[in-house]
Amino acid sequence: MAAAIETKNLTKTYKSKAAGLVHVVDHLNLHVEEGEIFGFLGPNGAGKTTTIKMLLGIIGPSEGEGYVLGKEIGDMEVHKIISYVPERPYYYEYMTGMEILKFYGALFGISDTGLMERLLEKVGLHKDKSKTISQFSKGMQQRIGLAQALINDPKLLFLDEPTGGLDPIAHREIRDIILNTRDEGRTVFISSHELSEVELICDRVAIINYGKIAAQGKLTDLLKGGRVEITVNGVPEQFVRDLNIPEANIRTLPVGVVIDAPEEADINGVIDAVRTAKGNVLSVVPRRKRLEDLFVETVSVPRSKAGV
Amino acid sequence: MRAIITIANATVGEAIRRRVLLIILLVALLVILIAPNLGMLSSRSETTVLRSMMLGIIQLASAVIAVMTTVYMIPNEVERRTIYTILSKPVQRWQFLVGKYLGAVMALGLMMGLMAVVMLFVFGVMRPEFAVGLKLMQAVFMYFIQMSLLASVAIFFSTFVPPLVNFFLSGGIFLVGTVMNPVFDTIQKQGTGSGLKLLFSVISFILPNFASYNVQNPLINPQTVIQSDAAYYTNAVFYGVFYISIMLIGGMLLFDRKEV
Repeated sequence: MAAAIETKNLTKTYKSKAAGLVHVVDHLNLHVEEGEIFGFLGPNGAGKTTTIKMLLGIIGPSEGEGYVLGKEIGDMEVHKIISYVPERPYYYEYMTGMEILKFYGALFGISDTGLMERLLEKVGLHKDKSKTISQFSKGMQQRIGLAQALINDPKLLFLDEPTGGLDPIAHREIRDIILNTRDEGRTVFISSHELSEVELICDRVAIINYGKIAAQGKLTDLLKGGRVEITVNGVPEQFVRDLNIPEANIRTLPVGVVIDAPEEADINGVIDAVRTAKGNVLSVVPRRKRLEDLFVETVSVPRSKAGV
Repeated sequence: MRAIITIANATVGEAIRRRVLLIILLVALLVILIAPNLGMLSSRSETTVLRSMMLGIIQLASAVIAVMTTVYMIPNEVERRTIYTILSKPVQRWQFLVGKYLGAVMALGLMMGLMAVVMLFVFGVMRPEFAVGLKLMQAVFMYFIQMSLLASVAIFFSTFVPPLVNFFLSGGIFLVGTVMNPVFDTIQKQGTGSGLKLLFSVISFILPNFASYNVQNPLINPQTVIQSDAAYYTNAVFYGVFYISIMLIGGMLLFDRKEV
């Protein structure tokens, strides 16, 4: 599949009086495929927004190169087919939802009010099109942001914290709009702290820490390494001693014997062995590795060990 | 051009709704309206002083509006992140800057136009004379060029200094640029040392000459006559447009390199 975004050693360095040269983004190699929802994660100050600004051509890199939809970053032609919704954006408060779309449409030379009506309907704001932005809730502002971002029928959308500070209902609405956008064949690049949200909608993710990529890949691959907790009772002590499961933790508790094994272990074999030993399997609870676990694991690496 | 006009229109819409600017405008309009009823004016000098006072109010209010509109324009766009939604579209930075400037000047023109209309109305009621009205309009037009020049200075500085510093910097340059001509004339007449003369020559060459636009003197003192109105106004307008262009080009170059 073609790359929607490709960076090679993309670097942004700032001079700081206190710290000298600071690599906010440090030799970043990013690969985003067309038609996927890509999650770009990292703690505060990791370099996420700086990376997005470089990809949008708003600021230039200090080193390295980057390509967006096959063109070098900063190429004005790319700006016609990409869009961006910043974190907690402010739109001109005196404008109505329709006027916002007219304003952003005019920057592309688009004046099709029918298209604007359809976009307002798509984001669920068609009934509020005459309200001014100052009358909009946070969720409505985020939705008008998405509508303005779709005005040019973009192939690639950059969303910075699209669900930040929204209530659960607004979360779901924004999530549905993003999924629809992907289903229409667009690539969506999401920078977010909402890990559960990212886990639900992203195909692939990259975690950035200290300006470097700490992990990148398909969610299914990155979240491998879950565990399964099997609780049994009625088995002899010898059975427990004879169990040979690599990387398993076995504890004897009042409720029974709790076997905490890697998900790759032969779980069926363990269950068969329990039954053969005339024991009872009380429960089998898979504990899937969550994105939050991976995130914490990845960003907890101290700066000295992160290769910075 | 499409992007510039779109940004300019949005800027006008925002500027004419800013409360602080509207309050300044409202106060200026009120003072213009009640000025003829102020008892401090003697009957002999009434009209002359009134003209001077009203033009002074328009100039002062316009200067504050020009600076207030422009010093916050770029920093606010960055702080509110609106700039990112615009620059991620097919809009160049210079187009953004020029659009913002033109929007500020258009908003300023609307506000100055309103003040001028109210002033004309007041004079029309007092003494309807076409010649006086025309002179007043010429004076307001010159102020408009003067304020457009001030706005260009403020937008130039807004690309690299914070708003508060810019407010005082642009205000300071306006004051120096306004009193420059009389001070320079005095130095010439007094035959001061050549070093000081050279220094003032350099300063007057670099700083914008705002004094050329204060043409209310011939109105107030009819004996001070400009030899050729057409030549004077044309020169002043060309100088303003030239200096504004320099400020905008400088602003564009700086803004293009600015990390936003």
